[in-house]
Amino acid sequence: MRISGLGYLLKEGIKSIWLNRMMSIASIGVLVSCLLLTGSAELVTLNVAAVVEDIGGENVTRVFLDQEVTDLEGVYIMDEISKVSNVTDTKFVSKDEAIMEYQDTLREDIFEQMRGEGNPLPNAVDVTLEDLSLYDETMAKITAVEGVDEVRDTREIAQKLTSLSTLVSSVSLWIVLALSLISIFIISNTIRMTMYSRRFEISIMKSVGATDTFIRIPFVFEGMIIGLISGVLGSLLLTFVYDAVMQGMQNILQFKFIPYDELAPFVWIAFILAGMVIGMLGSLLSIGRYLRKEGNELLGW
Amino acid sequence: MIEFRNVSKVYPSGTHALNKASLTIEKGEFVFIVGSSGAGKSTFLKLIMHEETPSSGTIFVNGMRVDKMKHRHVPMLRRTMGIVFQDFRLIDKMTVYDNVAFAMRAIGARPRAIKKRVPYILELVGLENKADRYPSQLSGGEQQRVGLARALVNNPMMIIADEPTGNIDPEMSYEIMELLSEINKRGTTILIVTHEHDLVHSFGRRVITIDKGVVVEDTVNLPEAVLEGGDEA
Repeated sequence: MRISGLGYLLKEGIKSIWLNRMMSIASIGVLVSCLLLTGSAELVTLNVAAVVEDIGGENVTRVFLDQEVTDLEGVYIMDEISKVSNVTDTKFVSKDEAIMEYQDTLREDIFEQMRGEGNPLPNAVDVTLEDLSLYDETMAKITAVEGVDEVRDTREIAQKLTSLSTLVSSVSLWIVLALSLISIFIISNTIRMTMYSRRFEISIMKSVGATDTFIRIPFVFEGMIIGLISGVLGSLLLTFVYDAVMQGMQNILQFKFIPYDELAPFVWIAFILAGMVIGMLGSLLSIGRYLRKEGNELLGW
Repeated sequence: MIEFRNVSKVYPSGTHALNKASLTIEKGEFVFIVGSSGAGKSTFLKLIMHEETPSSGTIFVNGMRVDKMKHRHVPMLRRTMGIVFQDFRLIDKMTVYDNVAFAMRAIGARPRAIKKRVPYILELVGLENKADRYPSQLSGGEQQRVGLARALVNNPMMIIADEPTGNIDPEMSYEIMELLSEINKRGTTILIVTHEHDLVHSFGRRVITIDKGVVVEDTVNLPEAVLEGGDEA
């Protein structure tokens, strides 16, 4: 088909979105919600995966010392810990260093004031193990050392996060599937309405020998434009949703989440593509049966 | 051009619209199809346009076998014919020009070709000065001329007119018929379905009469003036 012909058909598609704006807005609304849900679930999964990898990749376990242990005592306890078999490296982490770590991750000024006397954190020792398969036994020995309070078992957190992420993705899979079907259904209805309002033109087009493809193209364009608008809106909205959610999450867990800037290009591409494909499917679904009708049957006379 | 061989059409409702009808219309002919309502005229047209398929029999139109035509070949068949409707079927929100251009756009014609062809056709039907009007601003006769222009614009081999003068006054009807005659002289086959006997009689043309799904009469019905002249000779 020639470009000039496509331009005409594209114009027809845009025109009908405007003529059926209420239904178009409904379609866009549902499609945007669908995209937002899918996108959020996917981003949660991605972040959890990143955090889990971060934790798993670090063969370092933080061992907290009793609250009253001083810096000097702490260094002594560290020596004790380093004597435990399977421990290859130890590093003392003072209260103030720990606070600064929080501050680096969370960028909250409140931690500035917590240094020194007001510091609620205990001193700690970062322990590196040689053989992770002996983790439990080694940690039991370390906990037995005097002055050691508890071991922060990051593996457990990793496990919990992973199972949470699996739950999120399986639940969201069903929601997304349902929403996609609803989107396709609503879009196909929108386009069926457009077709209905243009049945007269369609009947004339058929009578002069327009091919099915030619008749179909404006409606496919209509579906794809609805999808495009939804993709753009969804991407914009997800920016806000992501920032809000991640800020909330960071208040609970002091992990570094993937900054949105890194994800944005993928979100945009995925949303726009997904939106346009769903829009196209929706329109193709509604056109097929309509095109088989002829003359007065098409017009409903 | 058009050939029906033992064509029957039975609708799912049980109506026998055509019953082993056979007829041939040659290229360049000017033919009236007459018959009372329900005689099978509409079915005859629908079969030609492949809006319906026959229950049995063979149909050839403009060199194509129509009775077993695949859905995707139908547009090619329809491009060989221009259709004129009793109720004009013009798009109200489009101007005269756009209504005619629409038929060209619908088959993917180039804008340049449309710009050249539409004014030419509008002149042919005498509407060159009303290109910017909307259908509602035209008389019935003028609207039908737009319909005719639309049927002609893609340069069909054949014009099929279904009661083209059914909705316009007799004077205008005569004009439309004259116009169709004119087009016929340029080599286009004309097929007119009508029940207006006066009109048929005033044009000395072939008349095919259909009754109860059968071709009952097929004659050249010379106008009275010509017949009288013949008596004198």
